[in-house]
Order: sequence, then structure tokens, then C-alpha cells
Amino acid sequence: MRVSVLQENLAKGLATAARAVPSRPTMPILANVLLATEDGRLQISGNNLELGITARVGAKVDDDGAITVPARTLLELVNTLPPERVDLEVDERTHTLTVICKGTVTTIKGISAEEFPSVPVADTDTGVEIAAPTFQSMIDQVVFAAARDDNRPVLMGVLVRFNAEHASIVAADGYRMSMRTADLERPVAKPISVVIPARTMAELSKIIGSSTESMYISVAPGRNQIMFFVNQTDVVSQLIDGKFPDVEALIPKASNTRTTLRTTDLLGVCRRAEIFAREANNTMRLKIEPGSGGAGTLLIRSEAQEQGTNEDRIEGLVNGPGLEISFNVRYLIDVLGVMDTEQIVLETNTPANPGLIKPEGRQDFTYVVMPMSTR
Amino acid sequence: MPIRVLSEIVAAQIAAGEVVERPASVVKELIENALDAGARTIRVEVEGGGRRLIRITDDGSGIAPDEAEVAFVRHATSKLTTIDDLDNIHTLGFRGEALASIAAVSRVTMLTRVEGQQAGMRLRLEGGSLLERAPVGAAVGTVITVEDLFYNTPARLKFLKAESTERRHIDTIIARYAMAYPNVRFTLSQDGRMTFTTSGNGDLADVLVEALGLEIMRDMIEVVPLPPPRPDLPEIAVWGYTSTPHLNRNTRSHITLFVNGRAIQDTSLTYAVAQAYHTLMPSDRYPIAVVMIQLEPSEVDVNVHPTKAEVRFRSPEAVFGAVQRSVRRAVITRAPVPGLGSGRTPEGAETAPIGMELDQPGMPTSSPAPWRTAAYGPNQTVQPTQLDLDLPDHDAGRYTGQIPPQERPSTPESAPDQVDFSYELPPETRRRSLPPMRVIGQLAAMYILAEGPAALYLVDQHAAHERILYEQFMAAQAAKRPIAQHTLEGITVQLSAAAARLVDEYAEALQSVGFELEPFGGSLFRVQAVPAVLTESDPGEAVVSILSDLERGLRPGESTIEAQIVLRICKAGAVKAGQTLSYQEMVNLMKQLERCEFPRTCPHGRPTMIHIGADQLAKEFGRT
Repeated sequence: MRVSVLQENLAKGLATAARAVPSRPTMPILANVLLATEDGRLQISGNNLELGITARVGAKVDDDGAITVPARTLLELVNTLPPERVDLEVDERTHTLTVICKGTVTTIKGISAEEFPSVPVADTDTGVEIAAPTFQSMIDQVVFAAARDDNRPVLMGVLVRFNAEHASIVAADGYRMSMRTADLERPVAKPISVVIPARTMAELSKIIGSSTESMYISVAPGRNQIMFFVNQTDVVSQLIDGKFPDVEALIPKASNTRTTLRTTDLLGVCRRAEIFAREANNTMRLKIEPGSGGAGTLLIRSEAQEQGTNEDRIEGLVNGPGLEISFNVRYLIDVLGVMDTEQIVLETNTPANPGLIKPEGRQDFTYVVMPMSTR
Repeated sequence: MPIRVLSEIVAAQIAAGEVVERPASVVKELIENALDAGARTIRVEVEGGGRRLIRITDDGSGIAPDEAEVAFVRHATSKLTTIDDLDNIHTLGFRGEALASIAAVSRVTMLTRVEGQQAGMRLRLEGGSLLERAPVGAAVGTVITVEDLFYNTPARLKFLKAESTERRHIDTIIARYAMAYPNVRFTLSQDGRMTFTTSGNGDLADVLVEALGLEIMRDMIEVVPLPPPRPDLPEIAVWGYTSTPHLNRNTRSHITLFVNGRAIQDTSLTYAVAQAYHTLMPSDRYPIAVVMIQLEPSEVDVNVHPTKAEVRFRSPEAVFGAVQRSVRRAVITRAPVPGLGSGRTPEGAETAPIGMELDQPGMPTSSPAPWRTAAYGPNQTVQPTQLDLDLPDHDAGRYTGQIPPQERPSTPESAPDQVDFSYELPPETRRRSLPPMRVIGQLAAMYILAEGPAALYLVDQHAAHERILYEQFMAAQAAKRPIAQHTLEGITVQLSAAAARLVDEYAEALQSVGFELEPFGGSLFRVQAVPAVLTESDPGEAVVSILSDLERGLRPGESTIEAQIVLRICKAGAVKAGQTLSYQEMVNLMKQLERCEFPRTCPHGRPTMIHIGADQLAKEFGRT
């Protein structure tokens, strides 16, 4: 193999592929990235058996070939090279990669490419097509709500559904749920409903980056895998097997009190409240007080026995009777941080019933959060 | 092969296998008989690890001549007549199997006389059949000689361990009975050599000196019975001796338990003893303990195991709690201050000088904080080494604030790196748990040197601060109001049948910490809310962990909270080794340590301080 690439392209492709390289590999080959030629391009792949990423960069291919080399070594090396042309040469007999850039000559010992797990390629014809920025915002508004501990593995995943013209993605741990929907430009032929590891989704959001193109999603028939193609990159992920809870049933059907607040106001007071709430299991108390003519106030209080107390008040619109309710302040900060509207709506019933948060004037984002109670 | 009824002899030999497993079990059965006969003196002679000869001589009541023969019949016993008697067993034996079983697999001679009879009686049996029966002269009591054990069951003989192993088993058995019956005089001679003897004066401590050795006994603390915590619980008396935290072993086998004078094995109670040392001993170390448990015979079922090595309690939780509380109380209140000479210990702790003397065998083998010098030792590997800049190893440097104010009046507040020990407890909350100490200075930026009554103390600053923070955080946590986090979809959890029963029993306690459990049929429960501190763990596990806390007599959630606190202290809170402290900081740290409930170990059970006594220094300097 003999290939020439630009240092910055190589560095970018390597960084993308390295997202799938495990930090503590169980098999030596998994610590490596696969370098392989493709017509006029260089493929760089990383794989941890759950997630596989193949990035492509433009290259001048003189001789075809493939090799795997330790990801960290190559990435560190390339990051220190000057922004010039980088020549990659492989000695097929000794499995050695020579990296030449200006005056620098480096040889890296590798392992044969045949030992690297193969990565299926996304089918751009039959797959689902969706605008990359839309899908990225869906991921970002949902993925943080996935469970972090593996008591219920299915909750460590994100439920992704495509049905006719609709896409919806949902994540939940035992205490809150986040759901985002979007319309598809091109309807899907066959409905898809899969649970994808939250980690995959988070990586995918980063790989989409600032891409404004379309991306393609397909599920290999009979295989427990999902494939994404975006930004000249293939992402293949294992799916989580299991029944995701009935999310629609978790959304409260009606509410007594509807409070409309400025997103930044609420986020600001939550951050302040958190300083003291931390010591009290993140408990933040909210007191919703209706005023005259639809106006109202939200009083917020957090208290740490040792440190002190924080109280805040923000103005908003309150529709319905007053109420006192406690939430885990982290759960509110998480969702407020991904709200992209100026105002949000908080819907509540009783201090023991779930609260519902959504962007003002939009129906495509729903966040359900369970209250806390002191006794 | 046709089915036949086994001959009596073969059946007896098979049955014997359950009771007579090895020479030590013969010794055990015969000692129990002697004790049940009210013996005050029991002499045991053993030859060839018990294979050649076992002779037990007692001064008990003896066996009447007309009963002597019946004694060797299976299921013949004087200790029990109706099944109801079984519920109220005061004797050690009752199954009527021992003599018959032993006789079936050996050559037995019994010599016995009861008080008031003119002559005694001698019986000789071989393989269970009577060879001789003759009146002879004998002292009151019984002498049983068992020879050629297992001569007719070669398979069993083959499985016997080395002679030394069998000897050791016999030693253990005798020592156990001596502990359980301190008022009986025991002597044991192995192959003609006296190996163990007790005075029979009724003092358990004297027996333990013989059984464990004086060296170990010096570091044992007396456990005294406590009244039950609730009036509805059965009366359970727990007493005995247990080791100070720094005397420990790497197996649980040094924890010996007795129930109503019977040595038993019980993993849960062994755990109760070890649990009493929580945070006082490294987690993989175990105390040496001899614990006696006395309760109503109706509260315990001893008829669950042929050799009665296991028993069943009517309320195991109550027994567990009683053992744990008594031992814990003893360890906390009676453990002497480390390294103080005798007569100087406060609160009348009566044990002899104990301490972390540097050469003491009781020192934990996992040595305390390693000396830094080890890291500078010769490098054996051939890899290239990073050469040190030639600086003195241990010069920690010194800030002006480190010098005691009386030497140089400076402002210690200006010292950089000042650590804020601002959580100081009000002094009246607790009395001192350590002798007064004067801080001398800091060593290697790791240890605080302090002078106590006629001794030098080396205090590990990190471990000491960990202990201080641990006790403060635990106290703060206990004062907090519990908060419940409601769950999104009412997760159902499947509990074990035993746990499900406990849910009912502890319904109120569970609710008070924030659980909302709804029975969902059988042992299924729907969790509507969990305590906010437990949101990170699986709700099912959280319920089980709370229940086990309650069972162990801890506050609900204590174990989880504690684990979190320990983690927090380690990560951030405590002052690190290698951090230079000002004089003020050191004084403050020592002052807080003195107010700790248990200042001598860090929450992981490692020691916070070592002590070098003035007499030891004198010895080292050749002044004695």
C-alpha cells in the first residue's frame, strides 16, 4: 500500500475512527485502527465490537492495500506532524507502516488487516433518509436521559422509531423520560423500532458535527445491527435487545397547572439552586403561585443543612391553581440545557404526580420528570 | 443384584460413619458423655493421633451395672424419654448413638462404678459385640478406652489424615470444651506427654490463657452480656473474649462460637462477630474471638446435624443482633488506648499494656502506611531509570508556621497550603478518646509526631483526617431528613420469599426512609418511590440492601450511605500524604482526632497511629 494524504485530513479521520477504539481493549487488535484504500480515498476504521466507525478521507492512492496499527500511536504522531502531505507506505511482509512527512520518517509495527473485525456498510438506497442537523438535535435533546447504570440494560439505550413519515427517539431512566419527534421528508417503506446504545448516539452526534447534508440509516435484516452513513463516515452499532417501556403511557394526559417561564431564567435559578441542593440529594423545591390576569410567580428554594439556603423568584405565566412540588434539580438542568426555545412550559398536577416540560408552542419535544417528596 | 436387608453389623458401621468421622469425633462424643454425667475432672489420653488409643477418664456419676450393657445399644440414652424433651434439651447428647457408633468400629473397654455400689463393672466390646462382662474394682466415674479405631472399616481408616492432623483436631476439640466448661478440669496427654491442662476454677480467662497463649490473651477484651434492645425480644446472653482490633488473622477460623455450652459453626454469627469490627479492621482481616451465647433451650434447635455442629435459632436475627452489639460494645468501650502502659489506661480498662509496639506479633501483617524510603531502594530492573535530582529524601521543608508559637511567634494563618479544619466539634459533645498529646512536628510530610504520656506517637495525617471526616459526615447524614424520589413507571421487583416477609415487618421503617412499596401478588412488589440517596442503584437491590441493614440492626440505608461517604472522603476530603501542615493545623487535627468515637483506625480499618513507648526507647538505647 502506498497512499498520500494531507495531514489535517488524516488527523480528522483518525480522530473520528478512534472514537470507537476502546480505552482498555480486551483483544490487542481492537487497540488498532484499520487503514485501507478505496478508489481515490483512504478508509480509517476503529471497532470495539459494539460500535464500529469507518471514516473516509481523500487520498492519492498509488498502490492498494491495508494494515492495522495502534490507534493511539498513530493519532499522537499525526497530531504532531506539520500541515503537509503525509506519505503512508506498508511493508506487507513485515506488517510495518512507514509514515513520511517532510523530513520525518516513522515506522510503526502493525498487525495484518485480515484480523480486524469486518464492518458492514450502510445501504444508502433502501435506508431511511433524514437531515443530519435534525437527527443531531433529536439525539442531543434525548440522549442525556438514558440510564447510566446497567440494572436495566434496555434503559441504557435510546428507542429510535421510524414510522411512515415520523421519526421519534426516546430515552428514559427510572425517574425521567425525554422524547423528541420529527417529520421525515421521504416516508419509510417499513417501520423500524430499535434500541440503540446511548453511547453510540452520543458519538453519532459528534460525528455529524456541523454537517448539513442528509444522512442514511439502515438496519441489516436478521442482524442485530444498525448502520448510519453521514459525513463520509460509516457508523455501525450493535442494538440492545429488550422491550423498551411503553413511553406513551408515561406522558400525563392532562394537567391542572400550566406554568410558562423564560428558559434562561429557569436555567439560571436552577444552576444557583444546585449549589445548595447538591448536599440534599439534589432536592429543589418549587412553589408555583398564580397571580392576577394569568401572571404568576415561581419561588425556588434549595437548602443544605451545613452550607445554607438559596431562594429565588422568577415571574412567568401561571394557569391553574398554585402548587408546591420538589424535583431533582439535575434533571431540570439537563433538559433546560437542550431547550432551543425562548420559553418553556411546565405542566403539573399534584406534588406526587409527574411534571411535564416542553418548549413553548411546540409539540415535538416532551420531557417527563418524577417529583421528589419529603416526609 | 438381589436386594437384601443389611446385617446388623454392617448397618451399625454405616451409621457410625455419621457420628464417628475421625478420632476427634470419638473424643468429642465421649467428653460430652462425661460432661453430661456431671464430671468435674476429665482426663484424656491419646496415642497415635487417636488411632491406637483414646482413653477418657471422668469422675462423673458412672453407669449402674445393670444399665452398662444397654448403653451400647443404638438409640439408648438416659437423657431423653419423650420427644417433647427434645424441645428442652439441657444435656449435650441425646441421640443415643455415640457409644453404639464408637463400639461398632473399634475395640472398646468400659470401666464404671456408681456412687454407693460396692464394685464396678468392666465391659469389653469388639466391633459392637460383647466379649466380656465382669465386676471389678474401680473408682467412681467412667473410664472408656477406645482402641484400634476403624480396624474393621478399612475405607474410613484410609481417609484419615496424617497423625499430626488428627492430633490437632483433638487439641481443638478439647480446647473448645475446656472453654465451654471452665469449671471442669481438663487434661490432655498425647502419646504420654501432657499437652493441655486447665485448672477447672471456673474462670474462662484462665482457660483461654492455656488455649490461646498468654501473648494473645493480653490483647483480648472481655465481652459482657447486654440486655435485649426491645422487651419483646428473647433474653440472649453473650459473653466471652474478643481481640483488640490490631490483633487479627486472615481467616475467620479463629472465631469460636458456643451456644448453650456447645461449640457450633454458624457463618452468619461468625459474620456478626467480624461485622462488629467494621471500619476498625481491614476488610480482609478477622478477629480472634471466643463467644458464648446463652439462651432458652426452647429458642434453639440443636437436632439438625448428627454431630450437632450446626444449630437453628427460632429468631436468628435477634441472636445475630445480640452477638454483634455485645462484641461491638466491647470493642469500642473496652479496647484499651493503643500503646499506653498498664495502670495508665483511663476508664479502668483492665487489660495489660497493649499497643502497636513495633515488634509485637499482634501487629497486622499488612503493614501500615509503607515507609517512603522503600521507593528509593535499589532498582533491580534493567530498564533505564529516571535519575533523581540529588535532594535529601525526607526534608519536607518547613514553613514558618510549623514551628511552635512559643519558639517563634509568627502568624500561622499566613502559612500557605493551609487546610481548613473548620468543622471542629464543640468540645462538650464528646469526651476524649485519646490521651492528651503534644504535637512535636511533622515527619516526611506524612506523619505527625506527637508526645503522649511517656510515649512517642506517629500519626498518619491522611488516615487520621479520614477518620475525623468519616465520623462528621456520618453524623451529618444521620441528621438529614429522608427524601423520596418517585419512579417513572412503578418498577416491579421480585424479592426473595424471606425478604418479602421482611417488607411487611419493616413496612414503617421502609416508608420512613422514602420507599413506597405496593404488594403486587406473591413476592412481587411495585416500587413507586425510592430514597433519593439510592436513585443510582437498582430499586430491587436498594430494597434488599435496606432490609439487610435493618436486619443487622443498622439504620436503614446506612451501609449504602456509608460507602458513599467513604468514597467521598477518599476522593477529596482528607488531607493527603505529602502535604505540609502548619503547627496550628497539626494541633487542630490532633484535637479533633481526640474527640472521635474511634480514633485509632481510619474508615478502611488501617491504623491512624503507631506508638513507641518510652520503655521501648529505653530498651533500644540500652538504658535498661
